[in-house]
Amino acid sequence: MANAISRRNFLRGGLAAAAGVAASGVVLPQAVKAAGGQELCTVLDLSKCIGCEACVDSCRETWQDTVPDPVSPMPKPFPARVPTQDWSKRKDVSDRLTPYNFLYVEHLDFEHKGQAVELHVPRRCMHCVNPPCTNLCPFGAGRVEKNGIVNIDPDVCLGGAKCKQACPWHIPQRQSGVGVYLDIMPSYAGNGVMFKCHRCLPLVREGKQPQCVQVCPEQVQSIGLRPQMLSQAEAMARQKAAADGADPNKWRDYVYGLEENGGTNTLYVSPVPFSVVSAAIDQAHASAAPGGGKGKGAAGKQGGKRRKAGFAGRPPMRPVANSMESAENLTTALVLAPLAGLAAGFTRLFGKKPPSEQPPQEQPSSEQGGQS
Amino acid sequence: MSAMSYSPGGRVAHWFYGIAVGFALFSGFGQMPIFKRYYLADIPGLGWTANYYATSDIHYLAAALLLGMLAWRLALDTRTTGAAWSWGPRTWWGWTLLGLLMISGAAKVLRNAGVFLPPPLIMVLDFTHLGSAMAFMFTGLAALVKPKPKPNLRGLVS
Repeated sequence: MANAISRRNFLRGGLAAAAGVAASGVVLPQAVKAAGGQELCTVLDLSKCIGCEACVDSCRETWQDTVPDPVSPMPKPFPARVPTQDWSKRKDVSDRLTPYNFLYVEHLDFEHKGQAVELHVPRRCMHCVNPPCTNLCPFGAGRVEKNGIVNIDPDVCLGGAKCKQACPWHIPQRQSGVGVYLDIMPSYAGNGVMFKCHRCLPLVREGKQPQCVQVCPEQVQSIGLRPQMLSQAEAMARQKAAADGADPNKWRDYVYGLEENGGTNTLYVSPVPFSVVSAAIDQAHASAAPGGGKGKGAAGKQGGKRRKAGFAGRPPMRPVANSMESAENLTTALVLAPLAGLAAGFTRLFGKKPPSEQPPQEQPSSEQGGQS
Repeated sequence: MSAMSYSPGGRVAHWFYGIAVGFALFSGFGQMPIFKRYYLADIPGLGWTANYYATSDIHYLAAALLLGMLAWRLALDTRTTGAAWSWGPRTWWGWTLLGLLMISGAAKVLRNAGVFLPPPLIMVLDFTHLGSAMAFMFTGLAALVKPKPKPNLRGLVS
């Protein structure tokens, strides 16, 4: 492990520059650009990741300055129990997700089948195929682009953190004291802006690859159209399963993101089953220092109550059911209800006149028809 | 009033409409992060109001009930004369708001089912839905306190 750390530190310094030279990897593949409008998906081969964090550094260098600093003094929210979260003085934190850090690397050491395993897992937004964070945003600040990129419009977001609660991984992070809520009712509604990975949307729109894909010296990530990436992930996972001594038909155990939350446009492929990776991550979080690595971690309460410090801003890797499944099922009820209503109306179900109200001729009636 | 007039569904339909509108409005406002912030979810028995998935499901069910009733009313109006509806909007304004709510709501349901809609359109739909719901609520509250007009027996648009 000591070797790995020194190797990581050695590589961190020079990789960003080296990656800049790798011009061939900067642009999206021609087929991907030509297919514009289709969902893009990334596949991460975790057996390639050496944990150098070049992706983290590059992401921070590129996007950290796009996150504004808060006003001072920050408006005091009402009621007083509403937490403000300020990471602006801790922009250096890179070992968890923060409003100023969209990507971090989980460094794991664990045993599998009697062997010591060292695994590094870059973590960021999973870019769900049908993202609840976006679907449930009441103001349209959460956006899904046609290319599948899930992002938050900082000019619209009020920082209510609903997206964070809706997200199974609690990915979006709030910076209080910034955003449009300051111009409305800063004490009574809103609380800042939520920030997260937008998969370098401005670069992708220019036909370039995301920074974390570009700068990786080990080509851990590849990006392409979702159907192709699914095939690639399956082929890789079959090899990993076989190499792990498992039945290649169990390849799904070696992929994360295939079915999680209904499917995500980030697919991790691991040399060991994800049940093992998930347990290792949970164990690492349980014993980890608070978010931020040193000293006080979270710069505020997490959603009104403190989450266990090691878990804050560090998403787990457990199986995740489809959050939108219930809504998808209830869509059927919404389609059937008016059809049933029409059928009932046309057959006069519940609408037949009482016999007493069907006289042969019109008479004065005391029947009320008042409408409320 | 005509001797042919009658109230389809009677009080049951009247209450169902009230319940559907009430739950739709309540669960709809619950989609904004305000119930937890302003202590509603702290009231014993109302903790679920802070669960966005629960309020979303209730919103869907209330909308289904409302759509079913409105479709029933529409169909019945084409088959039967003399119905005096004891529930539903009484003005074009009310029906317009209900129409906006249904159109914007239907589009949002499609989006939630995974159908792609352009982000700018989503924002328009969100604010249309929210604005129409608030206008509908305030119109309804005003209708509760102002004198009721004479009932229109044709019912659908009165």
